Amino acid sequence: MFALEGIRVLDFGQFLAGPFGTMILADLGAEVIKVEPVRGDGMRMAGKPFLGCQRGKKDIAIDLKRPEGLDIAYKLVERADVVHHNMTKGTAERLKIGYETLKGIKPDIIYCNTWMYGEDGPLAYFGGLDPLAQAAGGLEYEAGPVHEGNPPLWCRFGMGDTTNAFQSVIAVLIALYHRQRTGEGQYVWSSLLNGGALCGSEGFVAKNGTAPPRAKLNKSQTGIHPLYRLYEAYEGWIQIAALKEAHWQALCAGIGRNDLLQDARYATAGARVEHRQELERELEAVFARRTAREWQNLLDGLDVPCEISVDTNDGETVLFDEDNVRQGLVTEYEHPILGRMRQFGHLINFSKTPGNIQGPPPLVGEHTDEIMKWLGYDGDTVAGLKADGVIYASDENYPWPW
Amino acid sequence: MAGALEGVRILDLTWGVAGPIGVLLLAEQGADVIKVEPPDGGPFRQTTGCYVWNRSRRSVTINLQDAEGIELFLKLLETADVLVESFRPGVMQKLGLGYDALEPRFPRLIYCSVPGYPSNSRHAGRPGYDALVQARSGEQYEQPGHRPGPVFLHTPQPSMATMYLVSIGIVAALRARELTGEGQHVETSLYQGVLGYTTQIWQYSENSTPQSRSMMQKTHPLSIHQASIYECDDGEWIHAAATSGMTPKKSPQEILGLPPAPSLREMATISPEERARREEETRAAYKKCKRDELVEQFHENLLGAEAIIPPEEMYAHPQLVANGMVAEVDDPELGPTTQIGIPFTLTRTPGEVKGPQPLLGQHNSEVFGELGVTDAQLEGLKAKGAI
Repeated sequence: MFALEGIRVLDFGQFLAGPFGTMILADLGAEVIKVEPVRGDGMRMAGKPFLGCQRGKKDIAIDLKRPEGLDIAYKLVERADVVHHNMTKGTAERLKIGYETLKGIKPDIIYCNTWMYGEDGPLAYFGGLDPLAQAAGGLEYEAGPVHEGNPPLWCRFGMGDTTNAFQSVIAVLIALYHRQRTGEGQYVWSSLLNGGALCGSEGFVAKNGTAPPRAKLNKSQTGIHPLYRLYEAYEGWIQIAALKEAHWQALCAGIGRNDLLQDARYATAGARVEHRQELERELEAVFARRTAREWQNLLDGLDVPCEISVDTNDGETVLFDEDNVRQGLVTEYEHPILGRMRQFGHLINFSKTPGNIQGPPPLVGEHTDEIMKWLGYDGDTVAGLKADGVIYASDENYPWPW
Repeated sequence: MAGALEGVRILDLTWGVAGPIGVLLLAEQGADVIKVEPPDGGPFRQTTGCYVWNRSRRSVTINLQDAEGIELFLKLLETADVLVESFRPGVMQKLGLGYDALEPRFPRLIYCSVPGYPSNSRHAGRPGYDALVQARSGEQYEQPGHRPGPVFLHTPQPSMATMYLVSIGIVAALRARELTGEGQHVETSLYQGVLGYTTQIWQYSENSTPQSRSMMQKTHPLSIHQASIYECDDGEWIHAAATSGMTPKKSPQEILGLPPAPSLREMATISPEERARREEETRAAYKKCKRDELVEQFHENLLGAEAIIPPEEMYAHPQLVANGMVAEVDDPELGPTTQIGIPFTLTRTPGEVKGPQPLLGQHNSEVFGELGVTDAQLEGLKAKGAI
């Protein structure tokens, strides 16, 4: 049994912030039907960002602006547990698939909208992209870091979208749990702005409007503490995390600098932070003398926490790591156009309800025929709707070859 | 109703970032969380973020190295639905508290582990601090910084992804338990958090074209989003002129008093020198503007923009306020504070912020009293170092 066995999710979302969440629900065993515009998800052209958010879904392509198309959507809603999308405020209502409407069709539906800003407020109607969440949550400022005179830095992982999608998954799961106990559905929402803010939540305001002191990044973007930072080695880089007193003592012994232990400037943890710059200069000079590999071998033997900072060539060595494959952290499947694909695998391991990665990202309308049949449409009607452009099913002339 | 998870009790043995926040998200949806801490509180208690991440729960102290402490812990576990721990794989087993040992006695228990690396990984024995996982996973090398080489990620990205996986894993297991009556072991790790956040860039497909492979490749130093960061007057910064999904009333160039932007076709014919000149002109125009006024102008004209601010300034954001994401919390050590609120909303069961980070062992007599342990017995346990 899967954790979300028997749960059917309709995904009206496009781009990232919606579809990544429903992909996670699919990995937990839900049946996810992507309801895609007949011209395709706006993200398909972008390749990787699309493919990273769509696996394991069935796909029906419908023009929701046509009454016959809307009828099909409503038939799907009757059979669904969850509706999920990331349209900006008001868009779903214009398409006649807002919560109030769908609740009329399926009273206990769980309806999740997850987009840039939020339900009410001055920017509720604005859409937006990941960098705005990173800016507003203080993340770009801290990553620069601007307080050291550097420009801000945008984080390449685009976690504004991803955090938002994860939040929507939690909200949906809690709502499902509530429905199981009470029979009640509900409307849930989350926003990119909230996700960015949660990631920046170490920064808060205490007395007199001031922020309690927190660890700050240095100008060279190597770390937040002389003993919790990256050092450039003779070859490569090494990250150390010598946070306990025993680590500090072992480190000094290992690098042949027991004199640092006698130095009053570094006598306590607090003193080492206070004299951060001098200590970092000392350690920079030391680490530059040997390769990162040599340092790791040496420090491992002394139980000083450290890691070589590895270049994975855009994830390639991670995706082809045999140990990762063995553990199910990597998954591989066959895509009809792209051939063999690899992506990350299970993010959570369940001892009794294993995850279920259900296959590659679908083509536009790949399961249109199958789903239409399941809804009770006969072959002639389906052919007519296709000819009319109300629905679409991909064929060999798939319009987005990568 | 206070929250959909009312009646669910969680014992929180975590420290650091991912565990406490993962638990926080559930605590504020109604779960009754009891933080079980070592009698000295451990090294992480006083780090700044903990004031926020450990709120909305009660605190008890138990020495899990002590036989009587373990006995008390097992008594407490009788009342719990969920246990969450973030020790290195093997530590709980050594204490006799591994899942396999507990399952026969607590078949309905959901036991969630959050180590640095999965327990069956070849790295399982390595220390799992966030930055070490950033390094080993390759995440630091994927981030182009202001210099070549790997960059220390100030936001602890592995933890900030894993916190969500903790909540997801626990609630999914609670849902499954409603169907089967059985608990289970749920494990996620900081390493898996990294994988989740890199979904847009770490992929391989056999037949992809060179063009698609280069689409999300690392560029140094600029990317399209990094390039839309501009400096304003007074050394302030803006992330500017992004789409809002609506039709803008004015273009960014009109707002900034610049000549119209070239069309995509024209852009292709412009020389690199001319492009650089225009970029410089644009940067100079931004530099003349007051940041906050510019953000306002962009918004009035239906363009996306945000001020780039240190995190403690975010609580003034009118939309964050409107979202209920600004919480006033009276902390027993710090006094009144302004912190983040609840990042997602369930309209029928909205949940609530239940209070500040508890003092160490603040609820010992309350929680242990519920188990029938008298204050006199607690004094005895304290004297022996069990709590």
